[in-house]
Amino acid sequence: MMLTSTYRIIKFAFQNFWRNIWLSIITVSMLVLTLLTVNILLVVNRVTDQTIAFVENRIEVSVYFNEKTEQVKINDALTYFRTLPEVKDVQEISADEAFAIFKTRHANDADILNSLEELGKNPFGPTLIIKAHQAKDFDAIITALDHPRFRDDIRQRNFSDYQSIVSKIRKTTSEIRTGGMILSGIFFLIALLIIFNTVRVAIFIHREEIGIMRLVGASSNFIRAPFLVETIILSVFSILIVIAIMYPALALIEPKFSQYFGPGTTGLVSYFEQNGLLIFGTQFLALLIVTMGSTALAMRKHLKV
Amino acid sequence: MIHFKNVSKFYPPDIVGLDAVNLRIEHGEFVSIVGQSGTGKSTLAKLLFAEERPSKGVVEIGGWDITKIRASDVPLLRRQIGVVFQDFKLLPKKTVYENIAFALQVAGIPSVRVREVVPRVLSIVGLDDKAHRFPQQLSGGEQQRVAIGRALVHQPKILVADEPTGNLDTLNSRDILELLKKINEFGTTVVLVTHDREIVNRLKRRVITLEGGKIVSDVEEGRYRL
Repeated sequence: MMLTSTYRIIKFAFQNFWRNIWLSIITVSMLVLTLLTVNILLVVNRVTDQTIAFVENRIEVSVYFNEKTEQVKINDALTYFRTLPEVKDVQEISADEAFAIFKTRHANDADILNSLEELGKNPFGPTLIIKAHQAKDFDAIITALDHPRFRDDIRQRNFSDYQSIVSKIRKTTSEIRTGGMILSGIFFLIALLIIFNTVRVAIFIHREEIGIMRLVGASSNFIRAPFLVETIILSVFSILIVIAIMYPALALIEPKFSQYFGPGTTGLVSYFEQNGLLIFGTQFLALLIVTMGSTALAMRKHLKV
Repeated sequence: MIHFKNVSKFYPPDIVGLDAVNLRIEHGEFVSIVGQSGTGKSTLAKLLFAEERPSKGVVEIGGWDITKIRASDVPLLRRQIGVVFQDFKLLPKKTVYENIAFALQVAGIPSVRVREVVPRVLSIVGLDDKAHRFPQQLSGGEQQRVAIGRALVHQPKILVADEPTGNLDTLNSRDILELLKKINEFGTTVVLVTHDREIVNRLKRRVITLEGGKIVSDVEEGRYRL
């Protein structure tokens, strides 16, 4: 009997879904928009994290010493910087290596090569490339460069303001995230109102049938259950559509990110593949709780059984 | 079987539906409740299948006090009381067969049992050959037969017919009356709410007359006297 009733409840729910197909399509569309916004926020989060990691990996200062600086002083500076907690790594490039690198880099530039010929000597001094752990460590390294032990031997320092770059990334991301959250909130609210209205309209359309059900002895649960099952159907359709949109879309945009960060660095597709069950499972559960709550509210207000 | 003990029903602000009604209907009786419009006939019928609750007094059906019946028990009561209305209350998008089967389906009756019961009921109401027609393809009398068939599927102990001939011509009304008599002969208690003089006079059964919410006469083998 239980099985028979369950089958009939599901059947009635599908009938409601198909008989009000346009209302169902609108509801599913709004739910899909809401979920897509949430997933876009997830993508933004992921890309931001990867961007910051990418930038932080490249936080380095090139310190060019005067060409006549003694190797002892270079070694001293090398040891000093390696002891700093903010420093991740220090690499030394000798004057000869620097000269060779420069020549290789400008191998096709005859003017530069001719100038070097005319100069007749290696104009480069030794170089230290200092890498920081994080952008915020950058200030400490810059200050350390002013140490009196080797301050006067430094010819030039080459660095970008990584902290400002990271701050800009964080600020932009935060704005996108806030905008996205507001947008998903609005979509969510609209979706809830539409679900509330869908159930209200369904109750109105089926008022005659509901009245007859009551008359012939259908239990309240039997009358209410199809509306809740219909909400589950709407939610299942929505999440399936979102999954069907997300994976191809990610596969499409990932190569664009790879152009900036190198192949496989954002790992969007693999991230969604590995965590798909968790991501979409959580979204489905949240969707279900909220939509069923909205349905229950609509039934409580409009379905008197 | 049915026992009304000092039952009153009031509607706000000060409308009296029923006023201190005492009534006893025994198993297997065929009782007509008559009276002019607004005298409380339909209120009395609604109290029987718990569509309304009395403001005062006690309503008992087969020893079951339904005065303060729980909402969850109402479906159980309604499976024991068949109800027929003037406007048939059929589902227009379902066939005759589906309309009758619907009453069993919503009660969770297995499909095998539905397939057994529905043809039998169709035969009782004389619609075997119209099982697959839709309500709008039937005459008023036939539609009322479908409604009666649907009311019978749970083999109710009581059948409440609220103005079942109100929308029918004389010929169809007589057909419906014969059907109700046949159902009564099977042992079902029939409570017929009507203001159709001819029907009541043809029946020659117990007649309870209501006026202003009160019972003004209760006569075995009565006639319509208003």
